Amino acid sequence: MVSIRPSGSDGVVLTVRPFMTFGRLDAGRFFMLRGDEESSPAIPRPFSLYRQGDSGNLEFLIKVIGPGTEALAQSRVGEEIVMIGPLGRGWPELTQDGKPLIMLAGGIGSAPFYIALQQALAGTDQRPAVDPGQLHLIYGGRNKGLLYDIEKFEELGIAVTPCTDDGSFGFHGNVVQALEDHWRQSRFPSEVRLWTCGPEPMMRAVVKVAEDRDLQCWFSLETYMGCGVGICNGCAVLTCKEGSLGSWPVAKCCVDGPVFAARDVQLT
Amino acid sequence: MSDLSTRLAGLALRNPILSASGTFGHGLEMAQLVPARALGAWVSKTVTLTPRPGNPMPRIQETEAGFLNSIGLENRGLDAYINETLASVCDPDAVLIANIGGHTEEEFAIAAARLDDCPKVQALEVNLSCPNVDGGRLPYSTEPATAERVMAGVRAATTKPVFAKLSGNVTRIEDIALAAEAGGADGLTVINTLLGMGVDWRRGEPQLATVVGGYSGVAIKPIAMRCAWQVCQAVKIPVIGCGGIRNAEDVLEFLAVGCTAVQVGTASFSDPACLATLAQELSACLDEEGIATSAEVSGRLARNLQCEAGNL
Repeated sequence: MVSIRPSGSDGVVLTVRPFMTFGRLDAGRFFMLRGDEESSPAIPRPFSLYRQGDSGNLEFLIKVIGPGTEALAQSRVGEEIVMIGPLGRGWPELTQDGKPLIMLAGGIGSAPFYIALQQALAGTDQRPAVDPGQLHLIYGGRNKGLLYDIEKFEELGIAVTPCTDDGSFGFHGNVVQALEDHWRQSRFPSEVRLWTCGPEPMMRAVVKVAEDRDLQCWFSLETYMGCGVGICNGCAVLTCKEGSLGSWPVAKCCVDGPVFAARDVQLT
Repeated sequence: MSDLSTRLAGLALRNPILSASGTFGHGLEMAQLVPARALGAWVSKTVTLTPRPGNPMPRIQETEAGFLNSIGLENRGLDAYINETLASVCDPDAVLIANIGGHTEEEFAIAAARLDDCPKVQALEVNLSCPNVDGGRLPYSTEPATAERVMAGVRAATTKPVFAKLSGNVTRIEDIALAAEAGGADGLTVINTLLGMGVDWRRGEPQLATVVGGYSGVAIKPIAMRCAWQVCQAVKIPVIGCGGIRNAEDVLEFLAVGCTAVQVGTASFSDPACLATLAQELSACLDEEGIATSAEVSGRLARNLQCEAGNL
């Protein structure tokens, strides 16, 4: 554990230095983390990678909601934690030539977007950087305290629309209302791609917009996970019959996701 | 290095450590984390004759000292298991025990017969005791006569060694163990998860969609050990201990009460690579005590107690 920094009203950013070094990790993939103390819950919890530092450090943006996240937030600098990963399948590769990409984040659902934006803006040897004008983040929460690290997202140099249900910061309303507002004001073209991560009712609303307007849509799902590696069948999500995941009625969030195309799985 | 080789109902195993069914996929999923040679044997997730989509979500929940699950035997059925899963097992180091389940007594026998033709499967474990189907009624593991009939059907259908996996949710597990032995079981796995549940009182909601599920992990170790002890006293066939085992000390404790081998389950969720090193830890632990073979530890408790009784 390199550092633990508070973020928002109930979040922390954990910076960890793994004992092994990783190359570029795909945005949207996740790690299972748990504290190494006896008092920590025994089953690790899944967290999307938030940022990958040049030094090899990895960052995780975590909302403290129960004993597992509490144990991680209470770890001390210098302590070891247990990490299993990288796991799962992340966001599709972002390329310059596609339609503009709107990311819709709700609360702690912003975590898998930072690294995606970072990588899109940096490009790779094989793939040119994406023009910042092609990328928009609509970031919503019940109040300003739940817009974790909002300033860090704004520092990326892309358009960020903060929105709060209580109007305490940014657009007064939810992310879908903010999205509709952008379209009404003609700030976005009608043809865009949508990526979303946040509470399920929010993602359902985003998926509905995508269906109504026939837009490509992906989301990153959170489920309880027993193992993270595809052996326990605890993280089942219902598949869509006509989707690309085949005819089996359930998929495993940990190995088939956590990022899914909206046409492939059902939000419950 | 101490010798961990283990004879289990005719199987020659590298060590006495097996993966518990349902916590290791079909083994293939774990190949990168746990090489097959690290294990005595892989026990597959339960396979049923027909596909089962499993139970509704949520299916899992961690509790204070263990893990609740209600997966409900999600599997693609025996045809897919034989044609796809088994077809992709190509590790010559793998000793594979296929775990089979059934909705009726006949289904167990049909599955056993079909798998008898699969050379990659070295033995069968019969899941008499899944708590997450049939509403937790445990129809095959709470009544001696039924357990005996299922095992006799399986025994008649296969030439491979067959193990019966028993439930700890009974008053006298020895009775079920003796019945399974009488039915022709070559060994017994003791125990499956115990019935358990959790609730969110604020919302008035169950933690598992099925309300009741199977409880596993460190909390059940003393119960599993007591069951293993009672069964070891009662039967002549080998017993595989299972329940809350996560380190070499735990393995040796179950051997000491009379088990021939052990299975490790929930510990693989805490650390999916734990089985990659457990056999080495076991060996190191025995070396430290100057014990040459793990088999020597097996049954130590009963021998000592008999000795003491003899001295009285």
